Amino acid sequence: MNAIELYLTLGIAVFLLSLHGLMTLYDPIRRLIAVNLMGAGTFLVMVSLARRSEVPDPVLHALVVTGLVVAISATAFALRLIIAGSKNDKTDSGGGNRKP
Amino acid sequence: MNFALLSLAIPLFCGLLLLLSGRALRTRTTGFIVIVSTVASLVAAWFALQEAAAAGADIMLNLGGWETGLAIRLRLSSLSALLLVFTALMHLLIGLYAGLSRDGIKRDYWALSCFLHGSLAALWLSADLFNLYITLELLGLTAVAMVALAGPKAYKPAANYLILSLAASLFYLLGVALLYGRYGELDVLLLAPRTQADVITRLALLLMTTGLMLKAALWPLHLWLPPAHASAPTAVSALLSGLVVKGPLFILWVLWSEVAPPTLAQQIGPVLAIAGMIALTAGGLSAMRSPHIKTLVAYSTVAQLGYALMALGLLLTWQLPQMHIALWLFVIAHGLAKASLFLAAGEMQSSLGTKRVDGLRGATQTVPVAMFAFAVAGGSLIGLPPSGGFLAKWVLLEPILSEPGNWPWAMGVLLGTLVSAAYIFRIVAISFDRAQINPLDINPDRVGHWLALLPALMVWGMALSGEWLIRLLAGGPV
Amino acid sequence: MTPELLPDLTLSLLLLIMAWGALYAPQRSDAMTLFIAFGVVVALIWARLDAPDLALAEAAIGAGLTGVLLMHAARALPDELHQDYRTASYWGALGFTVVASLMFLVHLLYDDSLFNAGLLDTESDLTPRLRTLADAAVPESGVEHPVTAVLLNFRAWDTLLELLVLLFALGGLRQLFPSGQSDDSATTASWPESMTLMSAWTRVLAPLLVVTGGYLLWRGSSAPGGAFQAGSLLAAAAVILRLTGLLPPLRWSSLWLRLSVVAGALFFLAVAAATAIWGDGWLTYPGAYSGLLIISIEIFATLSIAITLSLLVIGEQEDLRS
Repeated sequence: MNAIELYLTLGIAVFLLSLHGLMTLYDPIRRLIAVNLMGAGTFLVMVSLARRSEVPDPVLHALVVTGLVVAISATAFALRLIIAGSKNDKTDSGGGNRKP
Repeated sequence: MNFALLSLAIPLFCGLLLLLSGRALRTRTTGFIVIVSTVASLVAAWFALQEAAAAGADIMLNLGGWETGLAIRLRLSSLSALLLVFTALMHLLIGLYAGLSRDGIKRDYWALSCFLHGSLAALWLSADLFNLYITLELLGLTAVAMVALAGPKAYKPAANYLILSLAASLFYLLGVALLYGRYGELDVLLLAPRTQADVITRLALLLMTTGLMLKAALWPLHLWLPPAHASAPTAVSALLSGLVVKGPLFILWVLWSEVAPPTLAQQIGPVLAIAGMIALTAGGLSAMRSPHIKTLVAYSTVAQLGYALMALGLLLTWQLPQMHIALWLFVIAHGLAKASLFLAAGEMQSSLGTKRVDGLRGATQTVPVAMFAFAVAGGSLIGLPPSGGFLAKWVLLEPILSEPGNWPWAMGVLLGTLVSAAYIFRIVAISFDRAQINPLDINPDRVGHWLALLPALMVWGMALSGEWLIRLLAGGPV
Repeated sequence: MTPELLPDLTLSLLLLIMAWGALYAPQRSDAMTLFIAFGVVVALIWARLDAPDLALAEAAIGAGLTGVLLMHAARALPDELHQDYRTASYWGALGFTVVASLMFLVHLLYDDSLFNAGLLDTESDLTPRLRTLADAAVPESGVEHPVTAVLLNFRAWDTLLELLVLLFALGGLRQLFPSGQSDDSATTASWPESMTLMSAWTRVLAPLLVVTGGYLLWRGSSAPGGAFQAGSLLAAAAVILRLTGLLPPLRWSSLWLRLSVVAGALFFLAVAAATAIWGDGWLTYPGAYSGLLIISIEIFATLSIAITLSLLVIGEQEDLRS
């Protein structure tokens, strides 16, 4: 086993672990974190594949940069959406939840 | 190719300029501009269709002028040109409704619908696996933004939709990464002759299929669709059900009919076909039980996508390329019919002031035009001749009926037809109940009702151009 | 196993622990903190795997933007309503994951084809053809750094669509603040006033971030760096300034704000259309000007990315709807 194999396996392991999280967790924030970890696992696979040759593959690096942009913008939007949704919940149920 | 690019660039430019203009334009003016640009895009798409049909083969464009393999390639086939026309037409019909019906729609709808149009056009034209990933993300984000247009009540389903859609894209992306690692190509057509049936390819295709099935709400990964589609504003529900779920379906088709090696495709074919059959029945049964009008229509999307999935599965099992005609006829017929169903359902909801199915009692008397639109569009979903739905089902049944051994598939189609007839007739029967009429809540909006009828009439008109459509999809001379 | 694998093994173990914690920590605030720490470990791994472009981007995002986003969420959200954060389908999902992992492990250990016949093979040359072509074409691309060449020339269409992704996310965020409805209860994201030390620090830190961002942009054509890294650093600077109250609210009603949000995508699309009409084809840059075109696209893109990302992180009613 060399480092590339290690990171390749690690990427798939992180992907599977967070997939399990996505399927079992209830809280939307945790689910969003799980999706982000799945993304990290995917990128880890891509970057370890890029490192197979002595000089890393610029194409895969460029693809990961693009993927990171997509991930951060979608995460930001999703997080704001979750927050807005839970605020709406609070006003709907008449503030039945614990007050901060 | 230039016409196709024009059809793609016009809505994108229009959306960007609308975003830039801020509040300088009134909402009505905005709607007018978008409708004009949609017409322009439709005309461009029509010329692209002529070009593709005349060429006889796929027209390829290497973006940036780089050599094949390095450049992202765009592909204009007669199918993608037809889908460009279909997308622009749907946007036009729904845009007319959104602009002219009394309820009106928020200003931001217009910019977002332009973006949706552009993302779909980019998806139909792309022939590069990673580029398809980005168009998928674009599609998912715009769709979620449009669901959120409905206001705070829609935020929860929208957030759930977004999280699942992101997870699905990552499944797809991991598959793309593995394919790139294995074959060193991202271009669909270059990858096609090189793929082999080995472990990595299997794993990659499996991952991509899971992601795409989740995105397209294909059974058994459909549970997110009904809440998201039912909570969106009416015009948006029509766009989501009629167009957005077809994007991932297109990629699924490209993946299995072109990229996957035939041996693997033959193995997955029956699985997909059976999933399609279950979707038809299970989605139909849920639609039959649903208490809310819009949820019923949303579940019917799950059921109808079963036909498309079945066509895809049988295409792969029997390696019959002409089955793709049935697949795409289903997509187009369902898109038009579903637009009509959602618009009619929305109009009836606001006129009668109820969201429940049993509130439709006496609807043939109170809202006759909208109810007629619902029934006509429903007729195409059932597959009554000579509607577009019938045409598609006919093309699907032809190869099934040619062999006696194919009877299970024929039974599946029959069962699906019965179930869709059941949920459509449930609505129609309630609406004829004149004993306890549910009175109108507000004066019905005549224009809105007639505009809801328009797509339904078009889907019945599809039968007139049936032969032309079939020849076009078969790739022959038109 | 060789001794030089030791740091990699440590990093991997650390990453797995962080991932586990970020998913299943009993307190949600702990989960968020661990998720931010996860980002830092990932940045280290990128550096270890010779991916400086990614390490820079990950550091800017993970340390700066995600942190603020999650802090905002922690303040705005009530505690978890369900003490039991697992869903009903827990055992089914667990079974599925265990089976999937086992199948994967079996392939890994017995079949061995996962690594040897497909992805990793020391015998044959596995250099992707796309990569070979890209390496050969870099001298004609107008920039020296291969990642930048791929992003802004060979696969420029991807990057154009990626700018649209940012824009669409912002378009979606705007829907959460319906116009004409002022939201008094909104928790405006800001640090408590007592943190004077922080605002003093910010006065030093922010200009430094801006300068670094500019440097990364300029450097992008010849070395790791570029529009996205620079844009996210600038966004982080804007967010910090905004949180300490040193930057006035950005207002959507200002034409300049809207212009800087759409500038990147609009300019890129205009270049694409112009090359299609007057040039050799959609996104085919004329050879002599390609370097110049790329750098101007990057400048506009950096501006758009910085503004859009900072709005996505801290944009409120007054920023997005006034």
